[in-house]
Amino acid sequence: MMKKLLAVSIMVVLCGSLLAQQENVSSQGRSYVEFEPLNTVAVRPGVITPVQFTFHVKRGYHINSNKPTTPELIPTTLGFTPPPDLVIAKVQYPAGQLTSFPFDPTQKLSVYSGDVVVKAVIIPQRAAPTGTYTVHGEFKYQACDNNACYPPKKLPVQFDLKVSKGTRKSTRPRPNRQSPNIH
Amino acid sequence: MKSSVIFVSVVVVVITGLLFLGKSFTPRPPGVAQASNNEDQFNGKPAPDFELPQLGAKGKTLKLSELKGKAVVVNFWATWCEPCKIEMPWLVDLQKKYSGEGLQIIGIAMDDTDDKTISEFAHKMGVNYPVLKGSEKVADLYGGIDGLPTLFFVDRSGKIVEHELGLRSLSVIEANIKKSLGSSESARAAATQ
Repeated sequence: MMKKLLAVSIMVVLCGSLLAQQENVSSQGRSYVEFEPLNTVAVRPGVITPVQFTFHVKRGYHINSNKPTTPELIPTTLGFTPPPDLVIAKVQYPAGQLTSFPFDPTQKLSVYSGDVVVKAVIIPQRAAPTGTYTVHGEFKYQACDNNACYPPKKLPVQFDLKVSKGTRKSTRPRPNRQSPNIH
Repeated sequence: MKSSVIFVSVVVVVITGLLFLGKSFTPRPPGVAQASNNEDQFNGKPAPDFELPQLGAKGKTLKLSELKGKAVVVNFWATWCEPCKIEMPWLVDLQKKYSGEGLQIIGIAMDDTDDKTISEFAHKMGVNYPVLKGSEKVADLYGGIDGLPTLFFVDRSGKIVEHELGLRSLSVIEANIKKSLGSSESARAAATQ
């Protein structure tokens, strides 16, 4: 009997917390895009390392591409504030899918839906100290569905970066000798 | 052992069902209000009053309560909202068509951009009704404005008769305008109040 009561109590708590989480999501405002967490990126000072970030646009929604078709539309962007001596550069956005929507079948908009992969390169300066850093960034987007648009959002993005000393030489010449944060 | 599993399963199903029932009977948070439905939290309630700067009107403001006696359509929109652009020419036409009967459409721009950009955009769209610069405070009064366009149809006595989230057809918008204009008798009654 005690086991039964214990099992029931656990289940009630689990159900309650599940529902509370759902309620919490709705009260904090909806998000339309999810960031796929990245494994720790290993880099070596002076070595340019490619990296890619994957975002999932929720089903039924679309977001503007990085190059929307009209100037009023808010482009999707990805930005970072890397630690000193590290640069994240050459951010490459995928081409938008030219799509027309029921609200205006005559016009095609440049949008992303489903998976969005943004590529970039990490350039640790030769002076970059070894260690693990957490890089913070922001994915800015504005989502719509087939008949409404939703306020612009900023999705926090973060990943770990491990700088370790290596013997391999740089794959490309150093961009410049300036401090990487002065750009 | 088998009876324990069945007992626990039944209890979990019943509790989960009760929790979901309770959740569905709880009033929706304002931000998730959807297009016209019967459990609408706004319909029949007085439209929250606001005073906002009118774009291109040299510092003038517009107060909703000053329009009492008129049927008012409060249109939340933004320059970055493509469905809003579809709706705007309809609103322009409807303003022309029903202004003689006492309709006043008000556009509330929810952009973060500068006033000049919004005014120029509205001008380009041929907007013939006042455009106000929206604020979070006013949006909150109207349930947070979860999506755009959002239309509130206010009758001559200042009560919300309908509201729509997202683009609806011209015929739906026009039907709601007629609802807010009401019969000529109610119009006279409101005018004499």
